[in-house]
Amino acid sequence: MADQTLDYHTLATLRREHPAWRLLAADHAPLIVSVLNRHFVQPNVRTFAREDLIGRVDDDLFHLRDQLGADAFPRSAAQYLDEWAADDKGWLRKYYVPGTDDPHYDITPATEKVIDWLTQLQIRHFVGTESRVLTVFELLRQMTQGTEHNPDARVADLERRKVEIESQITRIRDGQLLLMEPTQVKERFLQMAATARSILSDFRDVEQNFRDLDRTVRERIATSDEARGVLLDAIFNDRDQIENSDQGRSFRAFWDFLMSAGRQEELSSLLRAVMALEAVQSLSPDPRLMRIHFDWLEAGEVAQRTVARLSQQLRRYLDDQTILENRRILQLIRQVEQGALAIREGFPNGPPMEIDEPAPAVNLPFERPLFARAFKIGLSDAPVLLGSEDISAQALFEQIYVDKNRLAGNVRRGLQTRDQVSLVEILHEYPLEQGLAELVAYLSLAAEDRNAVIDDEHAQTIAWSDEVGTSRRATLPLVIFLRATISS
Amino acid sequence: MIPVENQLSLMLITLMKGVTYRDDDPALWQSLLGLQARVYDHVAVLGLELVLDEAEGYAYLRQRLTNAETTNGVADHELPRLVPRRQLGFGVSLLLALLRKKLTESDVKSGESRLIISREEIVELLRLFVPDSTNEARTIDRLDSHIAQAAELGFLRALHGSSDQYEVRRILKAFVDAQWLHSFDERLAEYRTRADARD
Repeated sequence: MADQTLDYHTLATLRREHPAWRLLAADHAPLIVSVLNRHFVQPNVRTFAREDLIGRVDDDLFHLRDQLGADAFPRSAAQYLDEWAADDKGWLRKYYVPGTDDPHYDITPATEKVIDWLTQLQIRHFVGTESRVLTVFELLRQMTQGTEHNPDARVADLERRKVEIESQITRIRDGQLLLMEPTQVKERFLQMAATARSILSDFRDVEQNFRDLDRTVRERIATSDEARGVLLDAIFNDRDQIENSDQGRSFRAFWDFLMSAGRQEELSSLLRAVMALEAVQSLSPDPRLMRIHFDWLEAGEVAQRTVARLSQQLRRYLDDQTILENRRILQLIRQVEQGALAIREGFPNGPPMEIDEPAPAVNLPFERPLFARAFKIGLSDAPVLLGSEDISAQALFEQIYVDKNRLAGNVRRGLQTRDQVSLVEILHEYPLEQGLAELVAYLSLAAEDRNAVIDDEHAQTIAWSDEVGTSRRATLPLVIFLRATISS
Repeated sequence: MIPVENQLSLMLITLMKGVTYRDDDPALWQSLLGLQARVYDHVAVLGLELVLDEAEGYAYLRQRLTNAETTNGVADHELPRLVPRRQLGFGVSLLLALLRKKLTESDVKSGESRLIISREEIVELLRLFVPDSTNEARTIDRLDSHIAQAAELGFLRALHGSSDQYEVRRILKAFVDAQWLHSFDERLAEYRTRADARD
């Protein structure tokens, strides 16, 4: 706590150098924050490939220019990304991952802090005090009891709590069921939501801390002048420097807690139950809170993989051989540099060297592909004109030609032996050949025919298989064709 | 998975053609780990030796040191070399030494990043050793040819999609090692004494 001074000079430096303050003070802050929030924070995404991110930011810029004018934000998405990832800004982290040459980006913890802070500025809720003061008490109690050496004192405290609980049980049995007031519920909900959100937004910080720890240890080794024995003892007493740091322990405890059996289900059901409470509903809570524990898992997994990877690599780096070898290498290179500088005539003169190739010489002259002329795409320069011909578009509508006369013939033949025949019966004798189009043609026949009845109250289902073999079914109103009577 | 009968063949052929990296083909790497001993024995017949660095994630074949080279005196039956030896000009040699330094320095900062360096940064590395000359263009051309040669040897790799970004491959550590640097240092000292003696 003591290292947070707010004297003038510290603040002046902080404003210049802390990326979070720089972001707040930047001219394009609304652009930067809105874009980065949209792609990273909102969907809880931890990494983007460069090409992918450029495409999205390009989209955003396009829409903004639509609204603000074509010369708003004149640079390209790629240029903005490079600027935001530069050392003097520090709002994006650019890195390479194995397996691809496309660099990847993630926002820095500083950017996340800014986004979080700006989100909080807009939240308009009452300021809860009761639940928070209770939390303070609870934490203090945990700390004192957890560090109490005297077993009698511990037992005494537990006995006291037992008495309290028992009296609560008695009261409930007597019918005194004390329920929480809506205000109390709301207050606790707001505190829970704020804490849950801040856990999520702190993960990047956690990862950065791991990376910083890794770097510190490596630098110590590299720059240490200590006698070999002393240095190695200090480091090797703890090979797991990262995992055993405060950050490492706390994170591991969090992870173990979250991953223990049944925890996910418990959190899910608790969140569901809480979100359904009336008092909570009245606050119009962000529905994303329902799945906050899944968001924790996703973010936590990334952090977990980072810490595992860093620890493994650090253990290798701390290997006896590696340390000594690296030192010797650097020393030799220093000597080489001095030698090269001291050569009177200077570059490019100097002694030659030899080196082995990384594989035996295997000559494969026929493995080289024959020359193939590059495929040239011929582009026509002719201007594209609007066509103005008046061609009948009837051809488009005649792709499936259903002969209504044929269908009418089917109906007539069906009515030869009966006074009335339903569509289903007709289709039994003359199955659909042209699928839905034919069915619709029958309906249109029925609609035009005075002697046909379409009964909406009853439905028929007709099934057929189309030309590729997919079976289809249609439900339509009952259609009955009647024989024309003499007097109609 | 590669069929078992073909695995050994595939391994040997791949290694004969160049360095095998874990990151380029994890499945192949796994096979290699399993077949190490057999590959080792197989290439020994050809006077070659398998070098496999699990930590760094690369494997390659090198010329096996015959008894004649390791022990002074008794000249054993020497096999002809299969692995060629390349001559490097001073410029390229110096570049390789400086890239090796960069690699070690980047390991100080973090173990997980690949070392990506731009052409400008390479030029900056060498700038200290290039005397101020009036012919800037020729210096740049020369540096370009050094970069090309380093790439040919497999120590630099141009990134796809970028004309001036290179990855410094970790295989450099295996070739520009303490022994090589020591040799370089000695030759520089010799060169200086001769140059001094001339004047």
